[in-house]
Amino acid sequence: MSSKEEPVSHSRRRLIRNGMQVTLAISLIGIAGRTVLKSASDDLVWQLDPFKCVQCGRCAKECVMSPSAVKCVHAYALCGYCDLCGGYLKPDPNARTTAAENQLCPTAAIKRKYIEDPYFEYVIDEKLCIGCGKCVAGCTSFGNGSLHLQVRHDLCRNCNECAIARVCPSEAFSRVPSHKPYLIKGDFKKG
Amino acid sequence: MGKLYKYGLWIVTGLILVLFVWWQIKDPTRQFSVSNPGDDHRGIDSSSVNEVINIGEKFQLYGTSASVYKGVWSRFRGIDFDNIAKSSPPLLLKWSGDQPKIMWSADLGEGHAGAAIYEGKVFLMDYDEVNREDALRCFSLVEGKELWRRSYVVSLKRNHGMSRTVPAVNADFVLTIGPRCQVMCVKRETGDLVWTMDMVRQYQTEVPLWFTGQCPMIDNNKAILAPGGSSVMIAVDCHTGKILWETPNPGGLKMSHSSIMPWTLNGKKMYVYSAVGGVVGISAEGEDEGKLLWVSKKWNHSVVAPAPVCFPDGKILLTAGYGAGSMVLKVVPANGTYRVDVLKEYLPKDGMASEQQTPLVWNGLLYGIQPKDAGPLRNQLICVNPEDVTKIVWASGKENRFGLGPYMIADNKMYVLSDDGTLTMIQPDGKKYIQMVQKKLFNGQDAWAPLAIADGFMVMRDSKTMYCINLSK
Repeated sequence: MSSKEEPVSHSRRRLIRNGMQVTLAISLIGIAGRTVLKSASDDLVWQLDPFKCVQCGRCAKECVMSPSAVKCVHAYALCGYCDLCGGYLKPDPNARTTAAENQLCPTAAIKRKYIEDPYFEYVIDEKLCIGCGKCVAGCTSFGNGSLHLQVRHDLCRNCNECAIARVCPSEAFSRVPSHKPYLIKGDFKKG
Repeated sequence: MGKLYKYGLWIVTGLILVLFVWWQIKDPTRQFSVSNPGDDHRGIDSSSVNEVINIGEKFQLYGTSASVYKGVWSRFRGIDFDNIAKSSPPLLLKWSGDQPKIMWSADLGEGHAGAAIYEGKVFLMDYDEVNREDALRCFSLVEGKELWRRSYVVSLKRNHGMSRTVPAVNADFVLTIGPRCQVMCVKRETGDLVWTMDMVRQYQTEVPLWFTGQCPMIDNNKAILAPGGSSVMIAVDCHTGKILWETPNPGGLKMSHSSIMPWTLNGKKMYVYSAVGGVVGISAEGEDEGKLLWVSKKWNHSVVAPAPVCFPDGKILLTAGYGAGSMVLKVVPANGTYRVDVLKEYLPKDGMASEQQTPLVWNGLLYGIQPKDAGPLRNQLICVNPEDVTKIVWASGKENRFGLGPYMIADNKMYVLSDDGTLTMIQPDGKKYIQMVQKKLFNGQDAWAPLAIADGFMVMRDSKTMYCINLSK
């Protein structure tokens, strides 16, 4: 009779092994479940589609933040580095210089730097940018459209009902996943 | 009353004092900065560097081609400078299957130069990015085989395309202007060099932004050019290269991307040029040939590409992009001189305007594509009455936008090429937009070059490739 019974040490080892397997399985299921749940309920943030934006100027006025959390961003890969930049200079300017009277931006938030003839680089000073979109309109009309507006998530309060989205005439605002919060021109195409 | 006044005065003085102290401590303008010219530290224009350019130095013969075709699209806007092919064979009314057939294509350097066609041969000014050469290339119209090229080394940097000009061709000569204002005259049949000119060296021409856009003109075997610089316009004998006349330029007009247009007003033939800084009319015949007849500096914009549209009654429509808008002038002959009146000036959203292409006149109405800053009409084809170019007769609608693409008329049909290589055939009707057929011919980018057509073969291009399609029935 006693020869059929397992030794005590064997039984304990099996118990520990089974216990570890169950624990590992539960952990894996937990991790997988959490991942699935997270992806299913990913946080959403507001963003505007630059291809839908009509540069109406409401981003500057309607945002609850002052100045607006919408800023101009620059897709350098698309930029023509033009001397006559429609985003920097007023339409039909007196001269292609950095003089205040020639600049389109009301807060001089775009800095123009000579690279080499005939190329100039344009850099946005976001502290000065109010998101009015005047430069975007100029760049879109006369250039490659490399300047465009984006909601900056370090500034945005992510209101439940975005004050700009409510009045946006082109319905350019939508909720996007927080792990992919920007719609930068050049990274994606219209439509 | 006196006390009240006294206290009031003290209060006001106190408030001013507080405001003054507050201003001194908190100065709300302390973050302001001054924007002065030169803050970008603009460098020296490299086009002023003395590069030795041996214009027309190289010639390569690849083959010969005999052609039965006799059609001609001899220059920018065609034989009559109106963008209308008047001796076209019947063209397809519908496109089915693979129609219109792409006969051939050819790789090009990045640019927007259109072609000229002369008796079965295509002439195109191109820039060879590998060898860094301006090249006049001659192709056979039907096969697309390159027959010869005449070229010269010149350094260019990419700047939204390099070559932009359409050669002028007649029975004897081909005349070209390169991106940096080098002029070349060669024999049409053989490509033999006849004469050359560097307008920057000879006339102190300022190379326009994005390089030269002016298409040269040959008039009665005279090369008519508008260098700006020391002479606003010149004529050169095509046979010899001898300067026949030079029109002084005391007003300092500069070369634009626009091209010279001939015009006859009250029996007087003249050349009209929309320069940067003003528009001029210069005598084209008689003893005063080359004399400045009239000038208006009221038309003054930094970038001017479309050519002036001149009407028999003395009116001229001038238009330009980059926010410039348009102007209607009236040139009035008066006792041997000319008076220039401004009839109308308006923004692109308020009437016929254009950034690149020149509007065309067909059956007394004016057709053109609106620029991107024309509000709701942006990139739409519109039709207006020249009597009032601000009243839109019809527009193609928001579903039918054409970018900055070129357009022309042949066999009573209007052809519009969109930026992306879509060709649309339209019935040019005076009452409404009638689209006959549309087809995407190729995956194009910036297909802005003027179209050319002869013998039913239309030559078009985008920024990198030239195509020839057969529109014949």
